[in-house]
Amino acid sequence: MNTDLHIASAFDRDLEGVQALVLRMAGLVEAALSDAATALETRDEALAERVRQGDTAIDLLEEQVNTECVRLIAIRAPTAGDLRIVLTVMKIAASLERCGDYAKNLAKRSIVLAQMHTIEGAAGSIRRMARQVSLLLKDALDAFIGRDVELANAVRQQDRDIDQMYSALFREFLTHMMEDPRNITACMHLHFIAKNIERVGDHATTIAEQVIYLATGDLPRDPRPKSESVTIGNL
Amino acid sequence: MKDLRLERDVQTETNKIEARKVQVYYGTNHALKDVDVDILDKTVTAFIGPSGCGKSTFLRCLNRMNDTVASARVEGMITLEGENIYDQRVDPVQLRAKIGMVFQKPNPFPKSIYDNVAYGPKIHGLTRTKAELDEVVEACLRKAALWNEVKDRLQSPGTGLSGGQQQRLCIARAIATSPEVLLMDEPCSALDPIATAQVEELIDDLRSQFSVVIVTHSMQQAARVSQRTAFFHLGYLVEYGETGTIFTNPKDPRTESYITGRIG
Repeated sequence: MNTDLHIASAFDRDLEGVQALVLRMAGLVEAALSDAATALETRDEALAERVRQGDTAIDLLEEQVNTECVRLIAIRAPTAGDLRIVLTVMKIAASLERCGDYAKNLAKRSIVLAQMHTIEGAAGSIRRMARQVSLLLKDALDAFIGRDVELANAVRQQDRDIDQMYSALFREFLTHMMEDPRNITACMHLHFIAKNIERVGDHATTIAEQVIYLATGDLPRDPRPKSESVTIGNL
Repeated sequence: MKDLRLERDVQTETNKIEARKVQVYYGTNHALKDVDVDILDKTVTAFIGPSGCGKSTFLRCLNRMNDTVASARVEGMITLEGENIYDQRVDPVQLRAKIGMVFQKPNPFPKSIYDNVAYGPKIHGLTRTKAELDEVVEACLRKAALWNEVKDRLQSPGTGLSGGQQQRLCIARAIATSPEVLLMDEPCSALDPIATAQVEELIDDLRSQFSVVIVTHSMQQAARVSQRTAFFHLGYLVEYGETGTIFTNPKDPRTESYITGRIG
């Protein structure tokens, strides 16, 4: 990667601009995830509602990123590292937009869950998982800011922990449902929440891989480390 | 539907020209240093780099145009299909019939369109009859995508054509001696975008028959027309490789600086 300035300084301003937008998106997504998890644990419906409504801002930012990137491609015809910045920014924006949707979904379900009786320990576990995944997302974006391949690789490795947390929660919810069928509705909601948070982890991994592409020009060749996933076989 | 990908899908690994340790001096100025490069047959190779980087100098070594510059001295080895083109026994005039050249500004002879194309075959004695010569002229004008525009006025002066047409006439003239390699020194810099597109389309078409080497200041043009790109900087060949790779993931930071428009 080349960090020297362009002869055309407007080119640098455009590249900086789209990157700043994607980082603003990331800030909103991280806050939404953490707020939604808190709203679930504290049964704070007002906070959940704010998260739900806040997703529009994230969607708008993604649109803005795409518009700016298209304009940049048309006007500046970026090549090499510049081209990879534009492509990476678009992909990260798409990933973040999905993460925002998951946070919104978490918030919606927590509004429903607030009306039901509590599943022992579930909200705490979910909040821990959400915090873990937020950290992963933050690391992935720090890797993007610093073009840090090592940190990006660490994110790829750590996604396994999120997968394991999800598997553990899956078993926990299954146990609750088998113990008492009245738990089924709440546990189904909680399971979707856990699954969605696990998906955020996958997006953090995608962002990390994109950072490796940005910095080196190649996507990582080795298959991503996977933990034993929940399959029908090992239920 | 026709599969467009199959058109002009020329694959070759044969070297047409091999250059080893080429040095060029203009008096005491060491203009080109240690250039090693293999130019592939039936491939468009683009030379890019800032002004004064040595790309045109190197292009001119390939058909011994530097012989005409009194102060120029060329060292090293350049072979065309294994034969040293700087060998004592090689006649530069014959060599230039095999390695044709098109220049930056269209420079048709002050003759008719027909005579511009017929000139080379005539002086090299490539045709025996008028009918044969007519055929060669028509074939070359067709290859240069100019025939339909000029077939009714072959006896009009070549200088009366538009800039883009004149440049295509020069290309027709260059290919009339059936060269094996076509060198182009910024062939589109004096042309408008439409004429440029026509010449680029022609270059892509010609590569089914020749090895084409093009020097250009337009990086987008190099990216569009070539399969191999060589980046020159301060007299060195910095990087040479597949065009797509050079423009997406160059290995040398100097190449990246240049193609992304940074101060190198």
